Order: sequence, then C-alpha cells, then structure tokens
Amino acid sequence: MKPEGKDNFTPKIVGYLCNWCTYAAADMAGSSKLEIAPELTVIKVMCSSRIDFNMVLTTFFNGADGILIGGCHPGDCHYDKGNYYTRRRFALFKDIMKILKLDPERLQLSWISASEGNRYAEVVNSFTEKIKKLGPNPLNGNPYF
Amino acid sequence: MKKSYTKGAKISNSKGSRKTILNFLKGLLKKGSLDAVLIPMRVPAGDSYAWVLIKDKKLLDDANPIAPIMPVQGANALSSCTKKGKGNLKIAALMRPCEIRAAIELSKLNQVNLESVTLISYDCPGALPMSDYLQDPGEGEKVFDSLLKKRDRDVESVKPVCGICDNFSILPASDLHFGLSADSRDNILLIPNSKKGTGLLNKMDIKPSEDISSWAKNIEELKKVQEKKRKERFEYVKDMVEGFDSLVKTFSACVGCHNCESVCPVCYCRQCYFESETAKPDIESILLKTKNRGSISLPADRIMFHVGRMVHMSLSCVSCGLCTDACPVSIPVAELFSYVGDRTQQTFEYRSGEEKGEPIPMKTYRKEETKGINELVKGAEG
Repeated sequence: MKPEGKDNFTPKIVGYLCNWCTYAAADMAGSSKLEIAPELTVIKVMCSSRIDFNMVLTTFFNGADGILIGGCHPGDCHYDKGNYYTRRRFALFKDIMKILKLDPERLQLSWISASEGNRYAEVVNSFTEKIKKLGPNPLNGNPYF
Repeated sequence: MKKSYTKGAKISNSKGSRKTILNFLKGLLKKGSLDAVLIPMRVPAGDSYAWVLIKDKKLLDDANPIAPIMPVQGANALSSCTKKGKGNLKIAALMRPCEIRAAIELSKLNQVNLESVTLISYDCPGALPMSDYLQDPGEGEKVFDSLLKKRDRDVESVKPVCGICDNFSILPASDLHFGLSADSRDNILLIPNSKKGTGLLNKMDIKPSEDISSWAKNIEELKKVQEKKRKERFEYVKDMVEGFDSLVKTFSACVGCHNCESVCPVCYCRQCYFESETAKPDIESILLKTKNRGSISLPADRIMFHVGRMVHMSLSCVSCGLCTDACPVSIPVAELFSYVGDRTQQTFEYRSGEEKGEPIPMKTYRKEETKGINELVKGAEG
C-alpha cells in the first residue's frame, strides 16, 4: 500500500541499534513505560560499526523512509573502538548522500547509552516527527531504481 | 617529514624520450642493480599493450615505456606479482602517476608489496581513449607521439579524465621521476625522489646536480591550468549525479556488466557484495520489495551498485579512467567517480595514493575527529 500524502502518512523507519547500549536503552524505555513512536522497526546489531553502507542503501532502496543508527557514546564502546569507526563510516555515508543529494536528513546517528531510556524515547519521537514532515521516500514508486 | 629532493640530472634526449628511458633501464639491468622491469609492450596484433616483466635486456628494445593507451592498470599488474609478498627480485615498475597512486592504495590494502619495487614515474601527457585508439592504432600512435613532443598538455585527444587530471607529474611516492617537460626538449630531467631512487642513480654514476626549479615551476603552472579545468568540468558533472532523478538518468543506459568494477585497480575485493549470492534475492523478497515500493527494476540493484561502489572506493579513487574505457555504453563513470572522490577525500583530508605509510581513512580513526567529519556527525550527541 502506498502512502497517500504527507498528512496522514505512516513512515517506515528502521533502527539499527547497538546491542550493548542503544538496544538496552530501548529496553529500558519500554520497561519504564515511556511513550515511543511505533513506526520504528528495531534491528539489533552487535556493534554500530557493523553497519555497512550497503545495508543503509538496501534499506532505503527497499522502501524505508528513514534510518536511525544507535551506538555507544565515543569512548564507551563495548569493543573499545567500534564507535570511532562508526563515526567515520557514518560521515562517509552522509557525505555521499549529501553529494548525490539523496536526502541526507533521512539518515541519523545518535549516541545513546544503556542508561538513557528517556533520551532514546526523545530521539525516536523527534526523528519520527522529522520523517513525517519530510514525507515518503522519493525512491518509492520510481520504477528504475 | 619526508626529505624533499630538489636536484636532478639532465640526460640527453637526442634519441627521443622513450629510447632514453629504455637505455637507462637497460643500464640498470646490465649493472645488476635491477633484476627485472615491469613495462608496457605492444601486443603482436599491434592494437593494444600488455604489461610485461622483463629480465632479458634484448627484449627491452621492443617495450614501450610510455604507451598511448592504458588497457590494464599498472597497479593491477604489480599486484598480480607482489600480492603474496616480496620476492628476491629487485623490480622497477615504470608507470603513469595514476598507476603509481593506485599501487600505493593497494599497498595499504595489502594487495601490493612495495619492498622490492622501485616506482618510476614520468610527466604523463594523458592516455588516449581505448575506443579511439582501436579504430586506427597507427593513427593513434602518431597522435600520441605528437602529444609527447608538446610541452603543454593537449587535452583534445586524451581521455576526458586525463583532460582534467591535475596530478600528472612527480608524486611523493615515486622513487625516480623522468621530467619530460624540461626546459628544452633536448634534455630529460632524471629526478631521484627517495633513497631507492638515489641509490639507483649512484649505481649508474649519474650525479643529480642540476637545479630542477624551472621544470617544477612549469609543472606547477600546468597543474594550475588543469585544476581550473577540473573545477569547470565538475560543475557540469555535478548536475549528472545530484538527486535521484539525475542519478537514474545518468545510469539509465547501464547494462549491469560490472566492467567498471572489474577493471578498477582499487576495487580489490576477492568477491564483490554485488556479485555474491546475498545480493541475488529470491522471488519472495522480490515480491515483497515490489509490494513495498510499488515497482522494481530487474535485475535489481543496478543503480545501487554504482552508489555502493562510490561509497566503497571513492576515497581511494585515483581518477585513472579505466572504468570509462571499459564501459560498453559510454557512461562517463570515471568523471562521476572523480567528482565524488575529490569531495569525499576533501572531507577526510586525504589524498589517495599520496603517502606510502598513511592508512586508508576507513581503517583508522582519531579520538578527536577533523572538522569535516564532526560537521557530518553533528547531532549525534543530542
């Protein structure tokens, strides 16, 4: 079913969350009964640096309207330095999306530690709002992609 | 800090630059300072060039140190013989600057071992497009000979990406450099640029005592002109890749042959994701995608392949232009990648193939990142 206009549009958002921090934060937000936007589909990854741009592209090309990547704060990585690599990779993803004008705002990186359940809810809610404002992914319905 | 070399030796160019280079290499083989030379040689049919590792001095006569075309990237040839480690042979590789830069990138990825290799570069006039050369190889040779004799860069007949190349001369990574655009065409400047290079000159009893500043100044001026051309061309290329619609338009003729990937020197993976089984979806997931998106073009991932490749190798792109040569439907792949590569390399304050020891940006990190990177990850802290 194709989304109909910007107003009553339910976005599809995919969240790649680090097992050690952001995923735990999501768990905490849930058990604290915080209100979290329901449009986010969570995929747990063992480290945010596991995310290759192919995953990001595949997600976008398969119809996602937004992608949230969640990792530990710099310096707090469970694997010591994984999120430093994430930071570089993410900068490259974003740079390419910017250069190609592929809606870079649809991709977001957030450092959320395991104890930041509140922050998790805030980030997810505000990101969902942002995507709702941006409207559907322009790739959808383009038969050549 | 790398020691900078500011002296060179003038050698006579009376026999033409190709003969002069060959004679120098022959001398080195004779003295035993080198065991073999990796050099292009015209194929028997006369319509292409192949990389040949030559140990026999006599065979060097048939080699062409400055080939008019670039059918195989020199870095690939070098990788094919040094990938599994250094050998006992002392090899000199005579390559274009873009080939040397690709070799440096590959050495960072453990695909080339430079320990026993001497890299020799020269002032490259560019290379002819394969398609033009194949139409009439004889004419191609003539055109290229006239390019070699000019002091300025003639961008009319070379590959488009050579026409906007601003890195066509000595590199920090070259051990030895032939300055072809010296003051007069009667001389060639032989410039040592590392201990290895100086060592070879010593063996040949050539003293690098001449000042090279006037040659360097000329190169600087040419570079400035090229930089300007590059900028102007990129203004045009920009419109070809900005936005979903232009991207679709630019790559609409793509037949999905993946030639651009297989000839690319820095696309080194043993198996590319896009050719793996993972990238070949089953019918269920195709139907699901179609349902999600409304439609899907098949085979899938045609455009994703190019965007994916831009991410994976734009930081290492050396703008050699082999991808455009290999494209059967004449998509200007090389210029697109050069454009994207220049911009990403700027963000990461990196220049592909410049410094030997420096790791590629994705294999390293800093605790405090550069301004460009911080700007892009802004908002992650909240």
